[in-house]
Amino acid sequence: MTMTASPNPADSRRSRLLGKVGQKDQSLHQQQIDQLRSRADFTPELDYFLQVMENPWPAAVSERTGRPLAAILCLQAPLELFQAFGWQPFKIYSGSYVTGRLAANDLPAIMCPMLRSALGAMQLQSGFLSSFRAWVLPTTCDWVVKFTEMMKISAGLAIEETSLHRLELPHLKDQDDSRERWLEEIYKLKKFLEKMTGRVLKPGKLREALETYQRAYAVLSRLTELRRQGAVPAVWFTSIANSFFYDTAENWTAAVARALPAFEGRPRPGAGGRVFLAGSPIFFPNFKLLELMEEAGLTVVADDLCSSERLFPGAVNISDHSEFGLLSALAERYHQGCLCPTFADNDRRVNNIINPAKREYFEGVVFQVLKGCHPYDLESFSLAGPLQAEGLKFLRLETDYTAEDSQNLLTRLEAYRHHLEA
Amino acid sequence: MDIKIGLDLGSTAIKMVVVEGDQIIGRRVAPTSPGQDALAQKLIDGALAELGRKPAEIRGVASTGYGKKLFTGAGMNIDEISANALGLFRLSGGQARTIINIGGQDLKVLNLSEAGKITDFRMNDKCAAGTGRFFELVARLLDTPLERFGELSRAGAPDLELNNTCVVFAESEIVSLLARGESRETIIRGLHGSVARRVAGMVHHQLPDDGAVYLDGGPANNPGLKAALEDELMVEVKVLAEPQFTVAYGAALALS
Repeated sequence: MTMTASPNPADSRRSRLLGKVGQKDQSLHQQQIDQLRSRADFTPELDYFLQVMENPWPAAVSERTGRPLAAILCLQAPLELFQAFGWQPFKIYSGSYVTGRLAANDLPAIMCPMLRSALGAMQLQSGFLSSFRAWVLPTTCDWVVKFTEMMKISAGLAIEETSLHRLELPHLKDQDDSRERWLEEIYKLKKFLEKMTGRVLKPGKLREALETYQRAYAVLSRLTELRRQGAVPAVWFTSIANSFFYDTAENWTAAVARALPAFEGRPRPGAGGRVFLAGSPIFFPNFKLLELMEEAGLTVVADDLCSSERLFPGAVNISDHSEFGLLSALAERYHQGCLCPTFADNDRRVNNIINPAKREYFEGVVFQVLKGCHPYDLESFSLAGPLQAEGLKFLRLETDYTAEDSQNLLTRLEAYRHHLEA
Repeated sequence: MDIKIGLDLGSTAIKMVVVEGDQIIGRRVAPTSPGQDALAQKLIDGALAELGRKPAEIRGVASTGYGKKLFTGAGMNIDEISANALGLFRLSGGQARTIINIGGQDLKVLNLSEAGKITDFRMNDKCAAGTGRFFELVARLLDTPLERFGELSRAGAPDLELNNTCVVFAESEIVSLLARGESRETIIRGLHGSVARRVAGMVHHQLPDDGAVYLDGGPANNPGLKAALEDELMVEVKVLAEPQFTVAYGAALALS
């Protein structure tokens, strides 16, 4: 007679929970995709971005790109470096309202909801850790600094030290020694990637990578111009931006180029209700705020979210084609040009919003704070005064990964729309 | 003269006013319950019958509040913050510069210009602390009608502070206070103080140098809350007659 070991009750409960959350997560994604496909302004050219977001998981991205994946967080690791080594940078994120439940027990009650959600989402993917050849994590906010620790505690996922590289971010931008230290960090990253790939970085390959990303930024720049005129609804701009990390830069660039004519021919909305969106990131399928803003009659014509316009640091100026010249240019672009609220000297953030090139396009600033996202929460207070002094009407909204505050948010957004007219 | 109808479909009550010119000539209120469309229509029909007016005389119907889109008979929807500003500014004779509105599940602070335009506003997040729901819960817990809160709080000792404005935790705190032998008068006074502190946190730097602070919404009928706010904010807090209808009145004015 064969004896079958009965399953461990804890394992069985865990497996049921994973099944339940996985199903809800899938349904949430599908619901959002269906909603976007059913919009009157959907065109077939936009379907590429929805397909990418339908399956942004490592296995699918690996298959789509045919490249080894490097997991990254935030925006400090120069994307062109990965490209030069033939690797695909994969940004860890999640906009799911349900996956955070898988990571809830062993984490602080109030923490970054995006990372909590990501910590849950990675548990739904079998072989998540082994999907990545390397992990490149910057020391930005406290949640990101403690991310690997949280992965271990809440998800039981321990990254091998040999495949983990931390970029130590100097939190001052306007000091020479900070710039020097950051350049050293970029060199260390280069060496790490050389070790992991078994290849030596060739300046020619890096130049090609820079050119590839310059082409991406060129199409994005055209899309952004159209956005300033109100021709690109926020849900579409965010869909396009969010999908950037889940296919090759080449494929993404071609897809944006195909989508541009659809926006170019679109009627521009009337004046009024045009705003700049600032604050915590917005990742698919968490499009709640974007949809509510649209419902309230607000048009987002610019933003500085690290999930949207700020995902793209912009083309790098190259005057020196040596390895040192190229790496220095990259280092400067990804440090000096970064407006992450974890920087101590971040006055440029205000200047970026009131920049005359943008300022003429909007009347107010909506600042979204995700509860537990402390750096943005702090900046929401320090930015309000200077922006109001510039004549911009400022609305601070605090929300979470949940749909239940939609009515409360809508009331405020509708009143803000009236306030803009006053 | 034609009449206008303003409806405020809030989370705890539906308020309706009939306005002729800029005067409120009729008002009705009913607790919010399922079937808000029919309920709102019933309020209108009842008020018209009482006033001896005919539906044909209605020039327009505007709805506001969380349920504003649930009333199919409204020709116009307006958010309750804008409606509040319109209504209270007119009722105050153009004197209001700061409005504190306490609704069933919201707490709002509005700043107005001399022309009555909103210059800034704040609203609580998804939390019932300091709202009408909070008062209702405490009323149930103390088995005391809300109408008596003002009178009872005057008799309470002044030094009790309720630490929790969270509805759930306040409940257990109040149970502990009762078990400790604190009188309900003192607890009610402490409750008003805790709500006033929460409001003060939202008002922040928004108190005007001139013009008055007005309190409206259903809980504004509670003189104990008014006194606690005056104590906390150190300014005079004015409450106009029937402050629960201000927002519905503002909705009607928006039709002009």
